[in-house]
Amino acid sequence: MKGLFKSKPRTPVEVVRQTRDLLIYANRSSDTRESKREEKMSELSKLIRELKSILYGNSEAEPQAEACCQLTQEFFKENTLRLLITCLPKLNLETRKDATQVVANLQRQQVHSRLIASDYLEANIDLMDVLISGYDNTDMALHYGAMLRECIRHQTVARYVLESAHMKKFFDYIQLPNFDIAADAAATFKELLTRHKSTVAEFLSKNYDWFFAEYNSKLLESTNYITRRQAVKLLGDILLDRSNSVVMTRYVSSRDNLRILMNLLRESSKSIQIEAFHVFKLFAANQNKPPDIVSILVANKSKLLRLFADFKTEKEDEQFEADKAQVVREIAALEPRDRP
Amino acid sequence: MAQHEGEASPRVQYPLNSEAYRILDEIGVGVSAIVYKAECLPMNSALVAIKSIDLDQSRADLDSVLREVKTMSLLSHPNILRAHCSFAVDHRLWVVMPFMSAGSLQSIIGSSFPDGLPEPCIAIVLKETLNALSYLHDQGHLHRDIKAGNILVDSTGTVKLADFGVSALIYESNTSSGTSGSSSSSSLMLTEVTGTPYWMAPEVIHSHTGYSLKADIWSFGITALELAHGRPPLSHLPPSKSLVMKITKRFRFSDYEQSRSEQSPKFSKSFKDMVASCLDQDPSKRPSADKLLKHPFFKNCKNSEFLVNKVLSGLASVEQRFKESKIRRSLSIKNTDDDGDEEENEESSMGEIIKQRRISGWNFKEDVLELDPVFPSETETLSPPRRQVRFAAEPIIRDPSNESSSDNPGSSSQSVEGVQELHDEHTNEHAGSLAVAVPEGTQLSAQIGVSLAHLDRDGVVRMLRGLTRSLYDQRRAVGLMLTILTGQEEVSREDQLLQENERLKMELEQEKKKTSEMEMEMEFLSLQISRGSTSAASRQSGE
Repeated sequence: MKGLFKSKPRTPVEVVRQTRDLLIYANRSSDTRESKREEKMSELSKLIRELKSILYGNSEAEPQAEACCQLTQEFFKENTLRLLITCLPKLNLETRKDATQVVANLQRQQVHSRLIASDYLEANIDLMDVLISGYDNTDMALHYGAMLRECIRHQTVARYVLESAHMKKFFDYIQLPNFDIAADAAATFKELLTRHKSTVAEFLSKNYDWFFAEYNSKLLESTNYITRRQAVKLLGDILLDRSNSVVMTRYVSSRDNLRILMNLLRESSKSIQIEAFHVFKLFAANQNKPPDIVSILVANKSKLLRLFADFKTEKEDEQFEADKAQVVREIAALEPRDRP
Repeated sequence: MAQHEGEASPRVQYPLNSEAYRILDEIGVGVSAIVYKAECLPMNSALVAIKSIDLDQSRADLDSVLREVKTMSLLSHPNILRAHCSFAVDHRLWVVMPFMSAGSLQSIIGSSFPDGLPEPCIAIVLKETLNALSYLHDQGHLHRDIKAGNILVDSTGTVKLADFGVSALIYESNTSSGTSGSSSSSSLMLTEVTGTPYWMAPEVIHSHTGYSLKADIWSFGITALELAHGRPPLSHLPPSKSLVMKITKRFRFSDYEQSRSEQSPKFSKSFKDMVASCLDQDPSKRPSADKLLKHPFFKNCKNSEFLVNKVLSGLASVEQRFKESKIRRSLSIKNTDDDGDEEENEESSMGEIIKQRRISGWNFKEDVLELDPVFPSETETLSPPRRQVRFAAEPIIRDPSNESSSDNPGSSSQSVEGVQELHDEHTNEHAGSLAVAVPEGTQLSAQIGVSLAHLDRDGVVRMLRGLTRSLYDQRRAVGLMLTILTGQEEVSREDQLLQENERLKMELEQEKKKTSEMEMEMEFLSLQISRGSTSAASRQSGE
C-alpha cells in the first residue's frame, strides 16, 4: 500500500476515473485474454481500496476534507455508482466489502453543503430496484443490503422504496431461512419504517389496510420466533412514535389487532411478552375504546389481571411498572356494558 | 486476485433446517449457548459443529446479535473459523461451523500439556493466530476475546481463530442489563461499542482503532503465556488475600502456593521479547498484528505437520475431553468453599473459562516469562464488566511508586485505578465509592436524543454521551483529589446508595451461584453413586 502511494501519487479525481474505466471494462463481455483480465480486476480491487482509504483515512493519515470532496464530485459526475453496483457480483469478497464502505461513506459526503449523492440517486432511482433484488441472491444480499440502508438515509429515496411494490417483498425477505440475510432485511425494513418520521406517517396512513394486514398475518403471527419478536418490537416503536399517533389510534381500535396482541402476551417467551405488553398497553390506555374492544377486555378481565399480577421484567424498570399499574387500573375499572 | 476469493466464492450451501443434521455429542457449553458435534445428513454425514444460541434466555439486544452474525458471515480467511450458515430453530439460533476435530488449544493443553507446549509449537499456533488477527484488524474488526480456548485446531493441524463474537456479545449485554435502566439505554451502549465501523464517522473509526485494536494484542500476549505455561499468568500471589484467592480460583490455580519460578522452563530470548512487546502497559507501544508477524520469533516457523506430530497424536477426542473437563469442573467446585464469584463457563469452547483479559494491571517479568497482576481491583475480577471497562481500563496511568510494589499495592493505586474504570458499574467495597453510574447518564442523553430526533440524532447522542462521560470523569477526578487532600473519602449520597445497591446485588448473585453449585455438586455425587465403582469415571460417559 505504502509503495503504491509513493510510486504513483494519484489525485482522488484520477483514482475515480481509473476506477470508472476499469468498471466499464469489467462490465463488458469477458472474452479478453484471461490473464489480462485478472490483472485488470486486481488493479480495480486496489483502486477501490484506495478510494476507501481516501474517504476513511488509514492507519497513517486522517481523511482530508478536500480530497473527499473532489472524490465525491468526480464520482457522481458520471455514472460511477451504477457501474459499481452492477459490477459488484464480479468483484471478490474483500473488494465487495470495500466498495460497500465506499458507497456508504459517499452518501454522507457534502459538496458545497449539498448531499450530492441524494441528487444522483433521485435521478437514478431505479438503482434501488437492483439493490433490493439483492435479497434474492445469497451472495449479494449482505453487500447490496448494506448499500441500500445507506441510500435510504435520503428521504426521497426512502419514500421511493416505501411506495414501491418492493415494500411487500420485505415481508418475505425478513423470513428467509438464511439467518444473516433475513436479519439484514429486517434491519432495512426497520430503517424504512422509523427513520423519516413524516414520510413514514404518510406511508402508513395511505397504505394502512394492506400493510397492517400483512404485518399481522405474516410477521406477528409468523411461526418463526425471531420474526415475531422483531415484529412486535418494531410495532411498538412505530405506534409509540408521536408522529404516527393517527395510525396508532386506528390500530388500537381493531379487535383483530387486540386478539393478536393478546396471543403474543401469552407466549412462553419473556422477551416477546414484554414487547407485546408495550403495544397492548395502548389498547388499554385508549380513552375512547370501541365497544368490541371493551367487551374483549371485560371477557378476559380476570385472566389478564392474573397475568399481570406476576408479570415482571428481568431487571427493575420503573416505567414498566408504572405502565403496568395503569393498565391494571384501566382493566379493573372496566364493567360490562349494559345491554341497551 | 485476492487470495481469499478462492475460499469465499464457491461457498457450499449447507441445509438451513435442523432436520438435516444429526447431533452426535455435546462439546461445549456456555451461559446461553451449547456447542454440538453433529453430522450433516444430506452431505454424506459430513461432520460439523453446531453452536446453538438461546435467543430468549439471553435477554440480549436482538439487533446486536443480528449485526454480529452478519459481520461474521462476511469474514473470510484461512485462519478464521467461518460459519457455514445460520438459521433459526424456534427460539434458538443455530450456527453451523466446520468441525475442528482437535478442539481448542486450551482443551489440548488441559489434557496433554499441563505445563505448556514446546516453543516451536507455540510459534506455529501464535503465527496462525496473528494471521487471523491481522486480517480482522485490517477490516476494522476487533476480536475482543483472544485466548487459547478460542483457538481451534483440526486434524491436519490447521489453526483457526474462532470468532465467538455472538456469545461474547450476548454475555456482555446480559450482565450489563442488570444495572442499566431501560432496554433502550442498554442497547445504546452496546451499539456504541460493538457497532461496525461502516456506519461510523471516520474519526470514530479512528479512535476505535486507536486503542482498542491494541487490546487484542494484549490478549494475544496473555495467550502466548497461557500456551507457554499451560495456564494463564497468575502465580506468585500472596494467597492470604481473599481478593487474590478469588482470582486464583477463577484461574484454577490449584497449585498457587508452589513457587514455580525455579521449574519454569527456559524460553528463547526472541519469544520473551515478543511477549513483552505485546504486554506493554501503553497500548500505543504495543506492535500491530502486522508488525508482530515480522518478529524474529516467527521466522523459521515449523509447519502444521509438525503440530500434528508433536501435539495432536494420541490426543483424546474433543467430546471425551469435554466430558472429562465437566467432571473436573464438578470436582473443583466441590473443593472451593466460599467461592461465590465463579461463573459457569460462558465460553463454549471446551470447558473451563479463563478471563485473563479482565485484569488490567500487570507486571511482566521478562526473564522468567511471567506476568503478575499488578493490582486487579475486584471490580474487574468479581463481576464481568461490560465492554467499556476494557477500553477504559486499557491506558493505565500508574503511579510510578506502585510499579515496584506490585504484590502489595497501596490504596492510592487502587484509587487511581478506580478512576480509570469509569464505565464499570459493577463496583465493590473497595472501588465502590468512586463508582460512577454511567447508565443514568446514557439514558438521559438518549432521551435528549429522542426529543431532538429531527436533528442528526446519532451525532447529537454521541456528543451528549461524550459530555456526560466527561462530566463524570471530572467529578470523579475532583472527588479523588479531595480524598487525597483530606485523607477522607468524599462519598455522596448517591454513591453510597449505588454502593449499597451493588453490594446487595452481588450478595444475591453469590447466593444464586452457591445454590447452583450445590445443585451441580449433588448431581455429580448422584452420578458418582450411580456409577457405583471407582474406576474410569471418565470413560463411562452418558448413556
